[in-house]
Amino acid sequence: MMDKKTILDNGLLEQYLLGELNAQECEQIEQVLASDTELKAQFDAIEKDFETLGLENAIEPPKGIKYQLIQDIREAKDTKNNKNNTNLKYYLGIAAAIAALLMLGNFWMYNELNVVKDQLQTVETEKTELNDKLNNLNKQIDEEIALFSTIAHPDTEQYVLKGNTLMPDGKVVSYVNHSTKSVVINTERLPKLDAEHDYQMWADVEGEMINMGVIAKDQNLMAMNYIDHAESLNITIEPAGGNDHPTVSQLVSNVYLN
Amino acid sequence: MSKPLFFGKSLTLMQNDNFLIQQLKDKDERALSLLYDKYAGAIYSVIIKMVRDEGKAQNLLQDTFMTVWDKAESYDASKGRFYTWVFRIARNKTLNFLRKVEPLIQTDDFSVHDSKEEAISIDAKYLELNGAITTLEEHHKKAIELVYFKGLTHKEAHQQMDVPLGTFKSYVRQALKQLRKAYTKTLSVLLLILNAL
Repeated sequence: MMDKKTILDNGLLEQYLLGELNAQECEQIEQVLASDTELKAQFDAIEKDFETLGLENAIEPPKGIKYQLIQDIREAKDTKNNKNNTNLKYYLGIAAAIAALLMLGNFWMYNELNVVKDQLQTVETEKTELNDKLNNLNKQIDEEIALFSTIAHPDTEQYVLKGNTLMPDGKVVSYVNHSTKSVVINTERLPKLDAEHDYQMWADVEGEMINMGVIAKDQNLMAMNYIDHAESLNITIEPAGGNDHPTVSQLVSNVYLN
Repeated sequence: MSKPLFFGKSLTLMQNDNFLIQQLKDKDERALSLLYDKYAGAIYSVIIKMVRDEGKAQNLLQDTFMTVWDKAESYDASKGRFYTWVFRIARNKTLNFLRKVEPLIQTDDFSVHDSKEEAISIDAKYLELNGAITTLEEHHKKAIELVYFKGLTHKEAHQQMDVPLGTFKSYVRQALKQLRKAYTKTLSVLLLILNAL
């Protein structure tokens, strides 16, 4: 630790004042000065003397230097401001660019999303349609298989219902199977009827006509109700949707079963 | 009657300086301008005696006051006078400059001053000393000149004068005592005049 005596004996006040000492030494001197008013007074006196010495020896510098100094300070100020502005502009520019990119990205993704949604919708619809078609086809196939299995059955007997005078060109081929109790008819040759009428099929059981069902207009091959103990099969023309009792005057065809 | 007047004046000057320095810290160009008017001459004198080149001295002077402007915040009045602070900035800048531009002429004792002095031509008036220092004995005058106006350290200066370091330090101490006497006398004369007025 430096003390007052060391400082005075080594002329450290002068060296400190002139700026010859290193940072550590300066700090030590400053500590002593702060606590020793007498030494501080001595330092103050030396400072004043050196200052007076300096002022006595002053040489006036050219006027331009002060002017240049003030100019430089103003320029530095402007540059600093400009730099700040430029920096701000630069960062704002980057921020704007990023924002624009994000917006574009979002817009693009939104569009893509919509396209994908539309596509998904289309696929869903197509899938439903295909499912429906498939179901229909399956149903149709099942029905047809059932019909064909009846037709192809070894016990099945074929009866042809030829048209009478009311329907000279028409005929229906019927397949009757008593063991499986099923009746299938082929209506390919039935003349077309208008919208207000349908063909209806009847079974004659001991003189009573029992309904076997209305013949569909859009199917060539269809199953009818099997009636036990039927003696004959009969077809009449009835109002659309069928009738409870056959209209005998409209009988167009019949066949007796063996 | 003379004393109150003197102290009054001195206080006003000090207050002015303190006020200006505060304004300088607040980045007031006018304060810088006034402080420059007051101290630039003394600082220029020190710099030019060190670099012995008018153009370089002017650049260093401007650079010094630029630093004063930039670093004003770090000036601590409790540690010393404003002039001392500026003087140290100028001295450091000038020494750094000399070390940078003339590294090859450094001598073994790291002094950058004792060689080539003669090679640089400069108007002698810039090297002349004025005022009370001229009344000192030659070796006292030389000691102050080396450490104050030439930027030498005590260690460099005593080698330059070819006397032991202790002797050199006592030269400086004695010189300062003489100067103190001279300045007190000047003040007395000044006070007498003021008193007479």
